[in-house]
Amino acid sequence: MKNTDKTRKPSRTKTAPRKRRAAAQSRRKSFWRIFLRLALLGLVLLAGWMVYLDALVTSRFEGRRFEVPSRVYARPLELYSGAPVSAAALEQELTLAGFHKGDGSRSGSYQRSGGRFLISSRGFDFPDGKEPRRHLALSIAGDQVQNLKVVKGPDSAIVRLEPAQIGGIYPAHQEDRVLVQLDKLPELLPAALMAVEDRSFYNHHGIAPLSIARAMLANIRAGGIVQGGSTLTQQLVKNFFLTREQTLLRKGNEALMSLLLELHYSKSDILETYLNEVYLGQAGTRSIHGFGLASQFYFAEALEDLLPHQLALLVGMVKGPSYYNPRRHPQRATDRRNLVLDQMQQAGLLGEADAQRARSLPLGVSDKASFSQNRYPAYIDLVRRHLARDYKEEDLRSEGLRVFTTLNPAMQVAAEKAVIETLPRLGDKALESALVVTAKDSGEVLALVGGRDPRYAGFNRALDASRQIGSLVKPFVYLAALSQPQHYTLITPLQDTRFTLKFENGTVWQPKNYDGLERGQVPLHQALSKSYNLPVVRVGLDIGLAEVKSTLQAFGARPAISDYPSMLLGAVAMTPVDVAQIFQGLATSGFNTPLRTIREVTDAGGEPLSRYSLQVNQVADPAAVHLLQYAMQETMQEGTGRSAYNTVPRALGLAGKTGTTDDGRDAWFAGFSGDLLAVVWVGRDDNGATSLTGASGALPVWSKFMAQVPQNSFTPVVPDGVQYHWVNVQQQALTDKQCENARLMPFITGSEPAQTITCAGALPQKIRGWFEGLFQ
Amino acid sequence: MMRLPRFRCAVVCAVLLLAGCASGSGGSIYAPAGGRPQAPEPPLTDGVAKPADEPQVWRKSEQPAEDKTQQQTAVPGYRESGDQMPAAAAGLVKEADALMAQGDGAAAITRLERAQRIAPRSAAVYFKLSEAYVMTGQFGSAEQFTLKGLSLAGRDERLQRSGWLLLADIRRARGNVAGAQQAESRAAQL
Repeated sequence: MKNTDKTRKPSRTKTAPRKRRAAAQSRRKSFWRIFLRLALLGLVLLAGWMVYLDALVTSRFEGRRFEVPSRVYARPLELYSGAPVSAAALEQELTLAGFHKGDGSRSGSYQRSGGRFLISSRGFDFPDGKEPRRHLALSIAGDQVQNLKVVKGPDSAIVRLEPAQIGGIYPAHQEDRVLVQLDKLPELLPAALMAVEDRSFYNHHGIAPLSIARAMLANIRAGGIVQGGSTLTQQLVKNFFLTREQTLLRKGNEALMSLLLELHYSKSDILETYLNEVYLGQAGTRSIHGFGLASQFYFAEALEDLLPHQLALLVGMVKGPSYYNPRRHPQRATDRRNLVLDQMQQAGLLGEADAQRARSLPLGVSDKASFSQNRYPAYIDLVRRHLARDYKEEDLRSEGLRVFTTLNPAMQVAAEKAVIETLPRLGDKALESALVVTAKDSGEVLALVGGRDPRYAGFNRALDASRQIGSLVKPFVYLAALSQPQHYTLITPLQDTRFTLKFENGTVWQPKNYDGLERGQVPLHQALSKSYNLPVVRVGLDIGLAEVKSTLQAFGARPAISDYPSMLLGAVAMTPVDVAQIFQGLATSGFNTPLRTIREVTDAGGEPLSRYSLQVNQVADPAAVHLLQYAMQETMQEGTGRSAYNTVPRALGLAGKTGTTDDGRDAWFAGFSGDLLAVVWVGRDDNGATSLTGASGALPVWSKFMAQVPQNSFTPVVPDGVQYHWVNVQQQALTDKQCENARLMPFITGSEPAQTITCAGALPQKIRGWFEGLFQ
Repeated sequence: MMRLPRFRCAVVCAVLLLAGCASGSGGSIYAPAGGRPQAPEPPLTDGVAKPADEPQVWRKSEQPAEDKTQQQTAVPGYRESGDQMPAAAAGLVKEADALMAQGDGAAAITRLERAQRIAPRSAAVYFKLSEAYVMTGQFGSAEQFTLKGLSLAGRDERLQRSGWLLLADIRRARGNVAGAQQAESRAAQL
């Protein structure tokens, strides 16, 4: 074996070089083969990758569907001679709508001296037409607009200010933006952007190797990253498609996608998308994208109204919105802005004098973000529930809809103040409250408070606290009775005496008055104004529970109503918004007016999608309601609601009703003036007992609200079929107005007392006059 | 379809607008905020005259100021007719008229709703809304707005008559002949 081996060795050594060469050749060949195959595979993969990237770039860019949140607006303030608004409320409203103090001639500014205002409106695209820009002059005296004059712009006797944005409905990723179009922008903005970020934007194909080389050189010299060589296209790609990680692969993708983007789309398309996409700040969880929203967010002004120094700041912030945040780092932001102004000057965009002046100006940033996302959580909650009837959540979050609500910011401020300032005075720290304010004749919900902390977006008591309504039910019992004028009038004597009801199952019910007393006979109007329990149960049983129930339902009561007589004392659970709905009909002479929070919804382009119109529906005889309104006014003047006038000016005519449930678990007040209906609930979330009544718990909140708002008195028009007569209530007779117990009261024609008495007794005045004449 | 020309309302409402301006209590019921509440003040005596700029309202219940037996406290108020239409609302109604003349009832309704917010107690605004709803073929709403207007017409016979006639037309258009006749007889009684 050894020999054999030996003999073989030489032969092997001879053939080895050849074999090695052959092997090397074959290795080389196979290397090339593999290399080629790999290269081919790589190319195929690259081509595939390119196709994938291309699809990604085109599909994302083609649709270019930014998810734009829906914007929710307050009602616009209408200014006209006689408009009810105080000077303070007008100023507050202007601030909310993003106006700033100034000379009153620059768009979006106002000037106030005492009651005199100069206002320069920005104009607004309302669903029913465009409101042009105007310069206005007006004065406010006695809480009314006077001498409204259009100083500049189309003349009009009535002017709508742009509405305040009160909230938004945001996409899940919380990106917020206001879309802008390139052709509607100040020309200086894109020019400045290019001067700072990408000078060769119109000449490169997506990437600029020279810029990259220049940046690299600068970075090497500085020993760190001081300059970026990314084009605007690359920045857009980075923002649009990629994560923020700094890897080579990502850089490669960025370059490829930039080339592809430039291949498919025009420079102006890319620029416009960039302007809408770029990240420019953060407001809580909401991220601020694009120059349109940034302009509102930092300056509370429309982009088209920005001055060069403001544009320069926004352009400068592109480099680092957080690092150059002008609110947190004003000096840093000023330095950066001035650097941008220098570059703008170098690029010939600004003259030396203009640049110098711009550099000397303060940043001009508004004090705080122009609106906070959660300013009116309870109200927005109600708006969203109304929207949910007609719109999909995903559309609300992404389609940039514009929602025009009925919120009246001045009323909302007054409502919140009433709750915040009154609740602590009621003693119990666990007390909660809800307040609903509507426009009496239109059903528009003007303000809503869902708890003692109106900023807290939690349990919304105005919508979700379903509590027994207590004596708030009484007006409906008496309305059902007064609708039968042959049986009941305001002066019908009612028994205020105890009685016992025995049910078939053997249970016994013995209602009592709140004070436990019995008063014998009381007239109907007084039984309501003083909220006695015994007479109302008697009346309710007399006319029938079914009648009372159907009255409540006709007025819009949705919850199930029990068939037990305790229902006559308010053993019916309702939310404050439900109560506002049923009282709407009482406040408007028997016309049910559905509550509304939304007037109109438009798409992002302003095209109307839905209108929610005023509706009225007569559900009761206006004559009977007028009688009831008399007793509800009496409640405020002589009855359980009279302490309202400790707070409210006596000149303001009001009507209302208190409500209290067992052990003070719920304190209610529902009432109205000529313009407003307000409902207040006060109680504990755990339904615990309190020492409060409707008059001591809810009425103080209600009065505090009413006292802050200028408004018209409640003085109902006498409807057809009602006549006023001077009557002696005790005697159930017509009398002379000068008699001691004479009271002027409304009667449905034909139901007034048949007999007449005089001041002195039962003799008619004519006869008395004859007698008097005889003895003179 | 029942078209507008068959209605008296176009004419009726033109009259109404004037009537609306001419009617009303003639006084304001406006109460600015921040007035001093009643309680801390001494009670008003009968001889105290109201300041000249205080809104004067014709309320029967407040009339007999000389009446010594009248209670010192205020009493429930009422009035005989609705509000006058302020110039701003009248301007919007005019715009609505122009829109209706162009056949755009829906746009007219938006103007009239603005007018209604400014003058919610003016019968004429509701009659106008009724007219606009007739134009859009929504007779149910038209009838309701007429009834609402009538509830605010008070003692103004011209407004009442116009309202009842309008109601008669609408009811007839809805096929409610008996209701229409009833409304017509109400108009005739005035």
